Parts: sequence; C-alpha cells; structure tokens
Amino acid sequence: MSRNSMQWRQRPKLPPTHFADPSIYSDPDLFEEEKEKIFKHAWWLAVHESELPAPGDFRTYRHPGDAQLVIVRGEDMKVRAFLNICPHRGNLLVYAPSGNAKNLVCIFHQWAFNGKGDCVDIPREKAGYQERICRNDVALREVRTAVSYGGFVWVNLDDNAPSLESEIGSALDYMLPELEAEPMQTLWYYQARLKTNFKLIHDTNSEFYHDYLHIYNRITGMLKPDTGYFQRKYTAFPGGHASVGSMNVSYESYKSSGRGQLGWPHLAPNGWKLVDLFPCITFNLRTSVLRIDSYIPVAPDDVIYEFRLLGLKSDSPEIRRQREKDSAVIWGPFGRNLHEDLLASSGQGMAMANGSEAMYVLQAREEDLTIHDEVGMRHYLAEWSRRIGRSSSDPYASERLAARAA
Amino acid sequence: MTHTVDRSELEELVYETCARLDEKDFKGFLGLCDPAFAYKVSAYAPEVQREMTWLDRDRAEIEEFFGMLPKHNTDRNPLSRHAQVTKVRLDAARQRAEVTSTVQIFRTQLDGGATELFAVGRYLDTISLQADAPRLLARHVKLDTRDLGWGTHLPL
Ligand code: FES
Ligand SMILES: [Fe+2]
Repeated sequence: MSRNSMQWRQRPKLPPTHFADPSIYSDPDLFEEEKEKIFKHAWWLAVHESELPAPGDFRTYRHPGDAQLVIVRGEDMKVRAFLNICPHRGNLLVYAPSGNAKNLVCIFHQWAFNGKGDCVDIPREKAGYQERICRNDVALREVRTAVSYGGFVWVNLDDNAPSLESEIGSALDYMLPELEAEPMQTLWYYQARLKTNFKLIHDTNSEFYHDYLHIYNRITGMLKPDTGYFQRKYTAFPGGHASVGSMNVSYESYKSSGRGQLGWPHLAPNGWKLVDLFPCITFNLRTSVLRIDSYIPVAPDDVIYEFRLLGLKSDSPEIRRQREKDSAVIWGPFGRNLHEDLLASSGQGMAMANGSEAMYVLQAREEDLTIHDEVGMRHYLAEWSRRIGRSSSDPYASERLAARAA
Repeated sequence: MTHTVDRSELEELVYETCARLDEKDFKGFLGLCDPAFAYKVSAYAPEVQREMTWLDRDRAEIEEFFGMLPKHNTDRNPLSRHAQVTKVRLDAARQRAEVTSTVQIFRTQLDGGATELFAVGRYLDTISLQADAPRLLARHVKLDTRDLGWGTHLPL
C-alpha cells in the first residue's frame, strides 16, 4: 500500500546506522560544515607526479576547501604546492591548468616566485618599498604536500592535520604492490560537472548492489558463479575507508571488452581491486588500467567529478593504446558503466534536491560483509558523523532538543 | 572500378551519417560505412597535455555495441549533429577522400524540449571511393568539449 506524507517521512524501524537523513545530501548548512570540518583538514589527491615531470612544470588544482592551488616541481625536483594567489594584490598567479615556467610571474605587476615559493623579483622594489618591505617578506603560502601511494600528489590545507600515512592507515596496503611496481603515467584526465551531492556519487563506488544498474556487470560477474562474485568481502578501515576483495572478472563473456590480454604488474590476470578513501577518492584497478576517481564538492548539489586513467611510464605506444581501449569499453564518457553510474547518482541528486520531500535513505543490507552488503556506505557515514559531530540519520537532533527545551 | 566523385556527394555522405545517427538508425548508419569501418573519439587534455582516446572501435565492435545498446540504461534525450564540411582532399591513387568537418552536437530534453549545446569538435573522415557509392571508412571525432556531464552511450 502506498504511504501518506507522515508514513513516508517516518524513521525506518532500523538501527540509526542503517539509514541516512536525506538532508545530509542537500542541506546548504551541512555542506558548509563539511567544508569547515572535513574538506579543510583532509588530504586530497590533487594530481599525479607524471603530470609535472620536469623542473618548472606546474599544475593547478581547485581545492574543495575553496582554495586555488598551484603545484610546482622545483629545480630540486621536489613537488610543492602553494596557494595560487599573488601576495601583492591577490591576483591569480597561474591561469593555465598546466605549463612550465622558470619562475611563476604574476601578470599584474610582474612579481616573480621560484619553485620553492620564494619571491625572486619585485619590479622597482627599493624605489617603492624602500626598506619597509622586501621580497623575503612576501613568499607564497606553501600547502602541505606528500607524494605517495604510487606517485600521487596529496595536499592538505591544515598545517596541523595528521600525516597522510596516519590518515590512510592500512587502507591502501592491499593495492600497494600494484601501485608501487613501476612508475605510473596519467593517460586520461576527465572532468565533468554534475548536479548531485559528492557523497551520492562516491556511494556508487562503495556499494555494489547497484550491479543491477549495469548489464555489463551482470554478464561478466554476477551471473557467473565461478568468478567468486558473491564471495568478495568488504574490509572496513579506520577513517571511513574500505576495500573490496579481489575477483576474477570474466571479460570474455562480453565479446568486445578487449580485456584480459594485457595485465598489470602483480595483479592476477582478470583481477580487480578497489579501495574507497574518505572523503571521496577511489582507487580502482582492473586488469590493465588504474582508474582514480576524485571529487571536488562545490555545493550540496554540485560536484566536479575528476577521473584519471593511469598506465605505466614504460608502456610502448601500442600498449598505451590497448590500455586506453580496455578502459574505454566500460569507463570514460562513452563507457558502458560510467554513463550509467553518473545517470543514477545525478538522478538521486534531482530526486532528493533540497526542499524535496525525500524519505530516509536505506543502507540496511546485511550479507555477511559480502559484495551486496551496504556496509561500505554505513562505514563511511559513521566517519562522517564523527567528523561533523552530528548523526547522519538525525543531523539536527541537538537543535531539535534545544528548541523543545526552550 | 574507380568512382569519380564531386564534392557534394562527399558532403551529402557526411550529412547523411549525422541524420542516421540523429535518428538512432544504426543500421542505416552502418549502411553508409565501409566493411573496414573504424571509429574513434579523442580529445586533448590541456591539464595533462595529452591526447586521450575515449573510444576506439572497429566495425565488429561497433556493431556489437549497437546490438547491446537496448540493454543498457542510457540517456534517451536525443542528440542532433550539425556538421559543416570545411575541407575535402581527394587521393585518387588510393581511391580515398579525406573530409574534414566542424561539428556541433546539441541535446534536446525529452522533458520540456530545452536544447543545450552538448559538444563541439571536428569530424576527420576518411571516405572510400572504391565502391559504386562513397563509403565512410574511418571517422575520428576530435572533440574540443571535454566536460560531457553524465556522458552518453551514443557515437557522436
Ligand atoms: S597582484 Fe601580482 S604582482 Fe601585483
Ligand atoms: Fe557502477
């Protein structure tokens, strides 16, 4: 029987860990809290070191904590990140997303900065500032940077945040042999603006019950008992991270998959490993390519989806072409699965927009931590609740209690 | 048999491929293609200074893909491809023509009918002149647009 308004908005008779209040996906105030309490203190995967191979190479990154960054490889080959802002009158220092420069020179009044962030030139310095200000006083603001877990460049705006290693813990350990086997190379960088909440799209990487969305997954995995499909287990790690156990995908079942011939060092042929990191980064390694999803939340209903594809630096052009081809079948803007994933998470964004009469979101499947168990999302929201200081199933409980007392 | 063509015949072929795809008449589209047809979509990413090949399919792969399309969940808002042939180079020795077009692809919402620009780029077509009518031998869609939102399953 259908439900009336009150029944529809009723809390499910489940433990509070097993459902989420829909406002966590749409409420602008909660989004501001996420920014203050999570985004500005988290380690974000900004770029891959192969995107700035030579001294003087730079890349820009739009940080979810509302900061523009520029990441530079110095003369000493060290990768450093700075706020992309000129300390003179606050102009954007670098406009292009990538490039090479001996010094970063601001177009406005030509102040120049080297790869260590030192100011190395101020036109007519003494004439205007005499002894009151000198170039030593106006260096760039350096942002904490770590190059790790396969050459990714991670940044953190919070000078006092725990180290990257302590935040990730052992979550990436099971993929480390593959990540560190050989230097990697970014092959694709793809960005798409989506009208949805970043957590909803991250969820599509942490729940596999949505195999029902993908004809491809049903054919190559779910309907093939010998692949170990239903035996895969989630492992939850402290900090809201989770991994999914390896399986063998029978790509042969899908004729034009083109997969299976070309592998990845240390990964079993046809293997698959996936790690979701809090707050919204996914490492996804399938047979011949590493896919990295990272999200830049812009507003509760607006996210920049970043998608990278990586191969190996040692690849010949033919191997590189094959990796791209392997990936294009499922992933990429024309891939069979990515389009379906983005349709679904965008559909959630549309249906549960702020002000809609959305119901509590169910995350209640329990299947002994196997692949259709929804523990991945529960584990994520437990960490979210801890960091925000609010329950994901009842985020405004304290305000309600206070109002009642008053 | 060497087929002599004039430019308008080649232009018509390009425009007809657009019309067949716009109508999701994949059989009709393949009917305009050579048995050795190859299809590719690429875009240059300034972020990483690399050409990315987002699709790379031979005729068998594209046929299989068209066959699977009804089983996929997919964006059903229609696309319309507006091409303009800008350059034709005949290679008489190889009985081929290289035809370049600019293309704008629009998407019209089924719900409400609003039209938005979906992508811009170029078609770099190789057309075979060996048969009695020109046939599309290879199409390389070189996109300027890289943010395609939730994407599409359809060839552009
Ligand atoms: S604002 Fe950059 S030099 Fe003046
Ligand atoms: Fe998916």
